[in-house]
Amino acid sequence: MINSSSTSKPAMEDSTSAPESRKPVSNAPEAANPAPAFRSRNLSIFYSNKPAIKDVTLDVPSRKVTAIIGPSGCGKSTFLRALNRMHELVPHTRVEGEVLFEGQNLYAPNLDPTLVRRRIGMVFQKSNPFPTMSIADNVLVGLRLNGVRNRKVLNERLEKSLRQAALWDEVKHDLGKPGISLSGGQQQRLCIARAIAVEPEVLLMDEPASALDPIATMKVEELIRELCAKYTIVIVTHNMQQASRVSDYTAFFFLGNLVEFDGTDRLFSNPKERQTEDYITGRFG
Amino acid sequence: MTVRSRHILKDFESALELLRANVLMMASLTDRSLQNAMTCLLDRQSRNGALTIADEEEVDALEKTVDGQGINILLRFQPVAFDLRQVISAMKLSGNLERIADQAVKIAERSQSLNRRPELEEVSALGPIFLEAITLFRDSIRAYGDNDVALARSILPRDKELDEMNRQITRDLTSCMSSNPSRITDYVHLLFIARYMERIGDHAKNIGEDAVYAAEAKDIRHPTNVLVS
Amino acid sequence: MSDNLHTWRKIKSGLASSVATVAALLVITPLGLVFYHLLVSGIGSVNWDFFTHLPKPVGEIGGGMANAIVGSGVLLGLASLIGVPVGVLGGVYLAEYGGARTNAILRFVADVLNGVPSIIWGVVIYGLVVIRFKSFSAIAGGLALGLMMIPLIMRTTEEVLLLVPNGYREAALALGISRWKTILHIVMKTASKGIITGVLLAFARVAGETAPLLFTAFGNRFWNHNLHEPIAALPLQIFTYAISPYDDWHRQAWAGALVLVVLIFVVNTLVRVLTRGRTVSVL
Repeated sequence: MINSSSTSKPAMEDSTSAPESRKPVSNAPEAANPAPAFRSRNLSIFYSNKPAIKDVTLDVPSRKVTAIIGPSGCGKSTFLRALNRMHELVPHTRVEGEVLFEGQNLYAPNLDPTLVRRRIGMVFQKSNPFPTMSIADNVLVGLRLNGVRNRKVLNERLEKSLRQAALWDEVKHDLGKPGISLSGGQQQRLCIARAIAVEPEVLLMDEPASALDPIATMKVEELIRELCAKYTIVIVTHNMQQASRVSDYTAFFFLGNLVEFDGTDRLFSNPKERQTEDYITGRFG
Repeated sequence: MTVRSRHILKDFESALELLRANVLMMASLTDRSLQNAMTCLLDRQSRNGALTIADEEEVDALEKTVDGQGINILLRFQPVAFDLRQVISAMKLSGNLERIADQAVKIAERSQSLNRRPELEEVSALGPIFLEAITLFRDSIRAYGDNDVALARSILPRDKELDEMNRQITRDLTSCMSSNPSRITDYVHLLFIARYMERIGDHAKNIGEDAVYAAEAKDIRHPTNVLVS
Repeated sequence: MSDNLHTWRKIKSGLASSVATVAALLVITPLGLVFYHLLVSGIGSVNWDFFTHLPKPVGEIGGGMANAIVGSGVLLGLASLIGVPVGVLGGVYLAEYGGARTNAILRFVADVLNGVPSIIWGVVIYGLVVIRFKSFSAIAGGLALGLMMIPLIMRTTEEVLLLVPNGYREAALALGISRWKTILHIVMKTASKGIITGVLLAFARVAGETAPLLFTAFGNRFWNHNLHEPIAALPLQIFTYAISPYDDWHRQAWAGALVLVVLIFVVNTLVRVLTRGRTVSVL
């Protein structure tokens, strides 16, 4: 009689699988414990020889929402960007360790980062629909510039992505209008539609709602919960309440180190590390 | 009761619904326990008493579930206003319900002891007070379920009447004890049972107060008595 | 007390805005005077003949500057063919690809070249091309003008591209779009208005240049039939007529100047109209 719905997070006495923290995958059967989407092993990233993250070993679970929290400068954005090699846009970066995505090392010497990014999408803090393009063009730009020409496929993908981003009903009659004519919250959902149009397996989100008003924020959070049925989602947020509302697992970073990684309920109700508790209760910045 | 639109976060909406459903489930279990205890006592059916005793485990488990879910909602969604009061009153209700069920179990146990002895005519005198206690309980649950503030407020005076009924019964039973000393043990059972019923009324009153808090954010506990000097 | 302060502030503010207004007028007035003078002096000689006829032999009245107008067009076309692609791609390199050291050197060189007197370009091309091929030519003239355009377009393109917010590049790369496609379809498209403006500015600058053409295109009293031959150009023709002793030629020079200015004016307006609304963000 006490049934939690399948998309809700594990209730306190209801959790089955232990969240994967620093230990390797257990011997639990596949259904209960699917392979993680990302496995970082001793990952360190240096900007001009200064370490931004140090020796991070973490398994990001598949088809769940993982939140990364921590004070400013703790390396959470760096870690997020390391998952699709976007941190390489900054000059003079150096990487040590590896990140395995579905068994393959993302940092293998001959692997083209462009291919990586087609499977691992990203949404940014400030929504950035391309200003020269209409709503439809914005959504389809990733497909078009990667060679997809078939009109039928494009139209289907357009509707599908906008529906998944909970934006279709609001814009279906205005698809030719410029992308930037939408409100802030709609623009962000447009960017999400744009990212999922290329059908990645993962969505990385860097503080996606921090520039939005509370209602728009909640709509984005609800969208994230809906999307995690199909995509693995990793979200960086400085808003701890958002992390507790939206995520299944939470990682706490501090000064470049991974301090704790656990199921969100457990981390917020009874964290294992004193540092974590001090941070989430607001006892230090 | 005003119909509220659904919350944007579906998980929040379903968590609140689940919490409420569990509380009402617990209430109906408790209701059944009381019903069985009454049958056990007044109709001398010890089998019903056994049902009451068996149900206690489930009620206890539900209390833990409701509290756990409540804390989970507070943790996850940081509810405010109406939602916050719903969660808090649900958690308080579960405590009260557990204690009511506990009283029912004690009634059942003592009734079973009575049923092993020859029939006692004073047992029937407890009928009205039992009925009143159960009615108060059912009304308090209905007041919570329907956000019926008027009904909730009516429970306090009726609980006082219940207290008066209990005092009366105590006096009667005490005089029975002196006139019929051979059955003192049985009369003691009856005294305790009456006491348990009075407690049930108190808990029902608590539930009513929680219902008013949930609906109106007013704390009507311990009203100051202007006549007390 | 505060009343006095308030009045004093109002006076200062009023003074400042008056000075600014006067300065603005000082800028516009010479412009207005030039246009007016050109109009008055030249309009009388602007007629159908002017646009369709070749210059008449010395001493005869009449004739036109048809070959000079067409010649200017040809030269500017050639110059754009050289200057625009190289300049724009150079700007792209500076903004998107270059290393810090290389860029610093390139920018310095471009800025220096922008400041070089235009006659130097003429002399250089004279030495490299005219002497080599033993003739003045349209190609030499186009080359000189084109090379002038390059550093100009390069710098403005670079600046405009740098104004495009990085967020757009990141968003495009995050979609798995390759670097060059990002630059071409996203960054340059966003900056297109600015790039076109830069090209226009270079075009207008170069359209009126006379000195570089002196030893390269050289001028021609007849139609040019072969790009390896000398060619007439409007500024050159104006120069030649203006320093001549003939009144008729003077009048034609005024007309030429007027036509030149109007042509530049029209081109500017046309492109502004065409690029209106294409992009919203940059320039």
